[in-house]
Amino acid sequence: MYSIVSTAIVCGIQSVLIQVEADVCDGMPAFEMVGVLSSEVKEARERVKAAVRNSGIRLAPKKVTVNLYPADIRKTGTSFDLPIALAVLAAHGRIPQECLEDILFAGEISLNGEVRAASGILPMALAAKEEGKQTVCVPRENVKEAKIVKGMTILPADSLNQVIGMLEEFARSPEQFQKSNIIEETGQDISCSDSDFAGIHGQKVLKRACEIAAAGRHHMLMIGAPGSGKTMAARAAATILPPMTEEEALELAKIYSVSGRFGQRENNFRTRPFCSPHHTISVAGLAGGGAVPKPGELSLAHKGILFLDELTEFKREVLEALRQPLEEKIIRLVRSSGVYCYPADIMLIGAMNPCGCGHYPDRDRCTCSAAVIERHLNKLSRPLLDRVDLTVEVKRLPLSEILSKEPEETSEAVRERVWQAQKVQSRRFGGSGIFYNSQIPVSCIGEFCPLEPEAGQTLQEAFERLEMSARGYYRTIRVARTIADLEHSEKICRRHIMESLIYREMDRKLWEL
Amino acid sequence: MRNRYEFWFCALPSISGRKKIHMKGIFPEAEEIYRRNPKELQKRCGLTDKEKAVLSEGQKLTAAELDENMADCIQKGINLICFEDREYPSRLRHIYNPPYSLYVRGGLPRESAPAVAVIGARNCSVYGTRTAERIGMQLAERGVSVISGMALGIDGAGHRGALRALRAGGTKDAEQNSEGRRTGRTYGILGCGADICYPAGHRELYEELIRQGGVISEYPPGVSPRAMFFPQRNRIISGLSDGVIVVEAREKSGALITADFALEQGKEVYGVPGRISDSLSQGTNRLLRQGAGIFLSVEDFLKEMDIFTAFIEASDKKPKLSLEKSERLVYSCLDLSPKNLDMLLAETMFSFPELMENLESLRKKGCILEVYHNYYIRSELSDFP
Repeated sequence: MYSIVSTAIVCGIQSVLIQVEADVCDGMPAFEMVGVLSSEVKEARERVKAAVRNSGIRLAPKKVTVNLYPADIRKTGTSFDLPIALAVLAAHGRIPQECLEDILFAGEISLNGEVRAASGILPMALAAKEEGKQTVCVPRENVKEAKIVKGMTILPADSLNQVIGMLEEFARSPEQFQKSNIIEETGQDISCSDSDFAGIHGQKVLKRACEIAAAGRHHMLMIGAPGSGKTMAARAAATILPPMTEEEALELAKIYSVSGRFGQRENNFRTRPFCSPHHTISVAGLAGGGAVPKPGELSLAHKGILFLDELTEFKREVLEALRQPLEEKIIRLVRSSGVYCYPADIMLIGAMNPCGCGHYPDRDRCTCSAAVIERHLNKLSRPLLDRVDLTVEVKRLPLSEILSKEPEETSEAVRERVWQAQKVQSRRFGGSGIFYNSQIPVSCIGEFCPLEPEAGQTLQEAFERLEMSARGYYRTIRVARTIADLEHSEKICRRHIMESLIYREMDRKLWEL
Repeated sequence: MRNRYEFWFCALPSISGRKKIHMKGIFPEAEEIYRRNPKELQKRCGLTDKEKAVLSEGQKLTAAELDENMADCIQKGINLICFEDREYPSRLRHIYNPPYSLYVRGGLPRESAPAVAVIGARNCSVYGTRTAERIGMQLAERGVSVISGMALGIDGAGHRGALRALRAGGTKDAEQNSEGRRTGRTYGILGCGADICYPAGHRELYEELIRQGGVISEYPPGVSPRAMFFPQRNRIISGLSDGVIVVEAREKSGALITADFALEQGKEVYGVPGRISDSLSQGTNRLLRQGAGIFLSVEDFLKEMDIFTAFIEASDKKPKLSLEKSERLVYSCLDLSPKNLDMLLAETMFSFPELMENLESLRKKGCILEVYHNYYIRSELSDFP
C-alpha cells in the first residue's frame, strides 16, 4: 500500500514543504529510505522502528520503502521522525490515509514513542499556511510557536499513540475536536527586563546618548573605566526601544525558532532582543555558521541591540565579520548546500576601557604609557569605528551620586520620546526605503537635513577645528537630525549641531595629550 | 678641521668620558691611539680588559670606513664637540664623568644665558603638562635656556612652552643681540644618536628644537635608544643647567635620578608641590621633604636662584577678557584638572544646550581648552593664579 504525508524542511529562515511517501509491499522484510538524506534523517529509521514497536503496534514483516521528495533538496534535521512514522503506519493500513490529508507534520520521536520538540516549527507552519494547508501537527512543546501563525488549526502531539487517536477524532469531526481541545492563548507579553533608566543616577551625557542612539538607530560606543555603568546603560537602552511591529516580531520569532531557542521569546514576543555575547565568541558564533548554518548572535539580536562589552578583547576577525552585516542588515552565509540568509538589522552598542588599566585620562591612577594606550586603541579596526555614530565617554561616579535619592526619569518616559522621534522619521522618509536617520545616504543629506545658516557655520568651524573627516562631518549631521527629531524641530539648529559634536568620534590626537 | 681619527675616537663605545679625557691627555692625537698597540695603550692609560677589547676591535676599521663614518656625521648636519674644544660647555667640564664628546644638531646653550632644566614624568597629568609648558614659556621669555630630555609628558611640554615663547617674541629679538635681551632657547638631550627622533611621535618637536635651539647627545649618530642610556643622559641634562625644576614625578621616577645628579653636581633642585594624594606628586613632594626648593612661580624661582633676567614681553599679550555671567560661572568651575561634561552639568546646574553654548563661547575666547573628548580645563598660560 502507498501513503503520503506532508512535512517541511527549514532552509535559512524559510521553509520548503517536503512530501514523505511510504510504500509497503510483499518481499524480503526490509526498511529502505531514499531521497538525499543526511545521517540524522537516516537514523530516523531506527527510531521509528523502535517507537512503533514500543507503542504496542505490531507491523507485519514486509518490505517498506520510504521516499522524501523533492529529491534535489538535501534533507537535514530531526523533525522527520513523526511524518515518517505516520507514513509507514498509513502504508501498513493502520491509519486511514484521509486522516493525513492536508495536515503538516513535524517532530522528533524517541524510542518509546514520545514526540519531542523540534526546531524551526514556526517557519514550517508559515510555509504550510502559504501552501494552503490549514492544520499542523507539532510537538506539544512547540505549540506556542506554531500558534503565532494566525488561522491555523494546531494539533499538539505527545506520543505516537496519542497522535493516531487524535487524527482519527479530528477526521471524524474537526469542529467537535477544536471545541474540546482549545489551546490557551499565548501568554501576555511580560517584559522581563530588570533594568530601567530610573536605576541609573547621574550620567546625563550617557543617558542622553542612549536616547539619541535609540531614536535614530545609531550605533554607539561607550568608553569608560570598569564599573562606570556601561553594561547597565546598555541593558537599559534596550528598554527604551519601542516595541516591535507584528512583522518584525514574526521575523525575529522565526530566527529563534530555527535556532531552537523559541522558548526565550515565548513570553516576551514583542520586546526587542538584547544579546551580549562574551568576548571569546567565534566568527561562527557571531555571524552564524555550521555545515548547515544556524543563525548567530548577530541575527538573534535582529531588530534589537547587540551589545559587545570589552570591545577591544574581541578577536579581530570577529569584529571584521560585523562590518558587512552592519551595512546590509542581512548576513548571507554561502555553503555548498546553498545560500542561507539571516536578517541582521541590529543596533550595535560597544563598550570598552579607555586603556589597559581602564583609568585613563585619570593620570593619578593610570600609569599606561602613550604607546600602551595606542596599542589598546588600535585593536579596534578603523572601518568598524567608522560605522559607529555616537561615542560617549563614561566616568565612574562618586558614591554620593550613586546613592542620590533624586528621582530619575524612567525608561517609559524616554521610550515615549524615542517613539515620537521615530514617528517623525517615518513620516519624513515615507516610502524612500530609509527608516532611520542613521541610514540617510550622503546623497540625501541635503534633502532630509536642512541646516539653519547658524548651524551650518558652527559645523564648518568645528570641521576645521577638529580636523574632521568627511565621514565625521556627515555623521555629525545625521546625529543632529535625530536630536532635532527628538524636539520635533523641522530644521537643524545650532544647538543640535553642538550637542551632536559631543558624541563625535574619539579623536586619536587628544589621547596623547 | 677635525680628522677621521677624532670621529673614530669619539664614537668608541663603552669607554667612559673620564677615561677618554685621560687618554687624550697622554696621546693628544687621536691618530696615535688608532695606530698604537692596544696592549701598550692599556698599560699607559690604565684601561680595563673590556676597554682594551673595544679599542682593538675599533682599530680593525679601515681608513675608508672611518672616512665613511665621518662623512655620515657631517652629512647629517651633526657637529662634533670634544672636551678640548673651546665650544665645549663649561658647565659640563666640572661635573663627575663629563662626556668626552657631544654630538649636536642645532646649537649648544649660550654660556652667558642662565639655563634651567624642566623635567618630570612621561605619563603625566594635564595639570603637569600645562604647568611645565607655562614654566618653559616663562623661563624662555626671561631669557633662560630651557633644558630637558625631549621625552613624552613633562619634558616635551617644557620644550613646547619655550618654543611658544620663541615663536611669540623670539623672531624679533633673535638678531638684536643686545645685553642678554634675548628669548631663551631650548635644548633636548637625547638617550640615542642625535640623528634619531625618539620618541617617534615627537618628530615635529625634534625638528623645531633643531631650528630653535639644539638637540644634543653623547652617543654617535645611528645609536638607537636603550633603557640604560637614559639615566646616563640625565647627568648631562642637570650638568648643562644651573637649576632643575621637577614638575611631576611618581615615587620612582627617572626625573628623580636627574635630581640626584643635580645635587651631586651642586646644582639647585626645585620641586613643584602637589597634593599628597596625587601619585604624580609623590616624587616631587618627597624631594621637597628632603630639602629641595619649593617652586611657586618663575619670578620667585629666578629671584631665589639669583638669576638676573630681563623679561621680554611676548608681543601678543592677551587682552583682558570680559565674560558673561553664565560664562563666568562655567569658567569658575574649571581649573587645571580636566572636568567632563557630567561634572560640569552637575556643578553648574545648566541644561545641556546652555552648558554647550557657554563652553563654546569660552572656547572661542580662548579661556578654556578641550584637552580630551569632552574634558575641559582653563587655558590661560601667561600667569599663575
